[in-house]
Amino acid sequence: MAENELKNVLQQLHRSLQSHDYQQSTTLLSRAKLALLHLNALIPSEKTPRPHLQLARETLEIGAITSIRLKDPESFTRYFQQLQPFYALPAEVLPKDGSNASKITGLYLLLLLSDGDYAGFHTLLEMLEMVAAQTGKGLEDDAFIQYPIRLERALMEGAYDRVWGETKSERVPSEEFGLFSEVLIGTIRKEIASCSEKAYPSLPIDDAKSLLFLDSEGAVVEFAREIGWVVKDGRIYFPAQEEDLRSRDILVSSDTVIEHTLGYARQLETIV
Amino acid sequence: MSDTMEGVVTEAEQPTPENVEQKTVADIRSNFTLLERAVAQFDTRFTLRALRSISSLRKRLDERVLCSVIVLTYSPSNATARVLIEAINMDGKAIQGVVAQYKEEIDQNKGNKQDPLPEVDVYIAILIQVYLYDQKEYEEGAEFSTQLVDKVRELNRRTMDTLAAKAYFYFSLFHEELDPKPPSKQSPLVSIRGRLLAALRSAVLRKDQETQASVTTLLLRNYLATADITQADLLVAQTQFPATAPNNQVARYLYYLGRIRAIQLSYTEAHENLTSATRKSPTSTVAAGFYQASMKLLIVVELLMGDIPDRATFSQPRLERALEPYFKLVQAVRVGDLQGFLKIVQTYASTFHRDGTYTLILRLRQNVIKTGIRMLSLSYSRISLRDICVRLGLESEESAEYIVAKAIRDGVIEAALDHENGFMQTKQAGDIYATREPGEAFHERIQACLSLHDECVKAMRYPMNQHRLELKNAQEARERERELAKEIQDGDIDEDDAAGDFDGL
Repeated sequence: MAENELKNVLQQLHRSLQSHDYQQSTTLLSRAKLALLHLNALIPSEKTPRPHLQLARETLEIGAITSIRLKDPESFTRYFQQLQPFYALPAEVLPKDGSNASKITGLYLLLLLSDGDYAGFHTLLEMLEMVAAQTGKGLEDDAFIQYPIRLERALMEGAYDRVWGETKSERVPSEEFGLFSEVLIGTIRKEIASCSEKAYPSLPIDDAKSLLFLDSEGAVVEFAREIGWVVKDGRIYFPAQEEDLRSRDILVSSDTVIEHTLGYARQLETIV
Repeated sequence: MSDTMEGVVTEAEQPTPENVEQKTVADIRSNFTLLERAVAQFDTRFTLRALRSISSLRKRLDERVLCSVIVLTYSPSNATARVLIEAINMDGKAIQGVVAQYKEEIDQNKGNKQDPLPEVDVYIAILIQVYLYDQKEYEEGAEFSTQLVDKVRELNRRTMDTLAAKAYFYFSLFHEELDPKPPSKQSPLVSIRGRLLAALRSAVLRKDQETQASVTTLLLRNYLATADITQADLLVAQTQFPATAPNNQVARYLYYLGRIRAIQLSYTEAHENLTSATRKSPTSTVAAGFYQASMKLLIVVELLMGDIPDRATFSQPRLERALEPYFKLVQAVRVGDLQGFLKIVQTYASTFHRDGTYTLILRLRQNVIKTGIRMLSLSYSRISLRDICVRLGLESEESAEYIVAKAIRDGVIEAALDHENGFMQTKQAGDIYATREPGEAFHERIQACLSLHDECVKAMRYPMNQHRLELKNAQEARERERELAKEIQDGDIDEDDAAGDFDGL
């Protein structure tokens, strides 16, 4: 009987997830998915009985979490897409309790954020906001969803120290979220570097260390060399690109001016 | 949002119901002539005129009027008539009463065996849709509309395109009102997507641009109602909006497109679309809802782009009251008052939710901070980070430093930071006329004027075969000239005579 087998596999899956044996999890997952196919419950239809739906959702959620721990964003995205029809079911058909919907969605938002896909992030957020407004529950109470939202806001404002604070382990809502911290810190470091180039004429190495959230001065020198900053007498000097930019600017603009004027002439000819 | 598609209907008590009824029936029947002419001459203008009169007929529609029209138009045994009468939901006695009233005319019509055109059927059906919608009979309306659109699709007549577009419009409107209402995923709105997409496909294949435009906007509205922005975006990417679509459809399409782009953070594109949408929206009072909705969105998008909307926008009589929360919002953003901004968002949260602008407005926070920094950099040549932090109500000095650094990189302000001493030093503002800015602004305006000119030329209508008439005229003129020349040559029209007139000079 496929149902019993599936329940068995699920129990094993939970155990393997706790013992961090992901190799085993993946093999178990494919068995679970096969069982789901036998039950015809991998994609919810009107006739799928409720226990099957619950089992299917559980399997897919475990799959999503496993792929996040294995740092496999593509497979996570796939699981997330597969879960969508389940989350869209009304509460009468599939009760919301026991579901990790907000955790998975929060993780997906974070994934979009770390990819820099802001359009996708806001598209999803708009949908969540609409659903939340309809059920009367605000998104504000949902710690899993609020976390990426707070991060996005801080990133857009430029308050990078807040992003840094959020990625500390005690602020992260669950351990899976912590896996993104590394990517995020890399992102903000790059952002800070490009901001510093424009904002400071020069910077002492010691200050740069705290600005860039690096551990040692050696790391700063290493980082500076990577992006081509000049380190001299304990200070970082940023390469001046302005002169270069300005001369190019004139060339570009004269081209466009000529182009525009010719365009006007052509248009005038058609009108007169 | 639901009021954006429909004008507000007010029920007014008419002084003499008998007369009004007679007149309405006559009006509707005179529209049939227009429809017949449209079919005969293959000119949609007549159909459009018949459709346009719906808005004035609408207030006077009731079941008796509709029943009279049907009884007078069809022979008693007609199957279509039966379906239409059933849809009005009148009891048998009332129908008998109407039949008795028009007995003479019906007898006269008996000799005339010809069945009315399908266009007339559909026109009456649309009137019934309007009537059912105004009576809030949404269930029945939805069912009737489903039958209607199926029939229209089967008929496949090019003279029916404008009517079909209207039928689809009400079809979707009825489903929108059914429970559970969107944005619930169980809304009946989701289930009609298949039908609408099929309609879109056939419309494209049949080069039926009216229906194509109408169904595209309906689908976009449908997707946006349940916040399926990705699908809406894909639809826009995969389809081509017909260039010859009526103005109202174009305005709607641009509005939805602007909405999608705003959510996807492409503010420039969103701004372009929304500006055109507001300009294309009707100037009379009929579509005030649409104008308000698109203006609201446009204001938020302008704010997100870092622009401050014109003060005059808010004092237009049909916008003034609706835009009040937005006006306060703009004021807060303009002075960079972060606390005031958060307070306004909190106070009007429900309004913004209803307008569907809430998430967009939440994104404004960073703009408020940027404006605040810009104000500070304009007023002080040197200011400490501590003061910036206090003035803008930020959490820490470190935050302030990063935020200012980002503002400098994004080109919001011209300044430099001094980390050791902890202050921001403003650079001397350069001469704006030495940059490309004025040239770009100039180019933008010229571009707008030129495209306006092009659109005007495209919008002009040339009567069919007119050039032949002109050719004929020219030919005649030439002939006359030749004759004249000949006569002059012959000396018949004498120069003396011609010159004689000028003697007095």
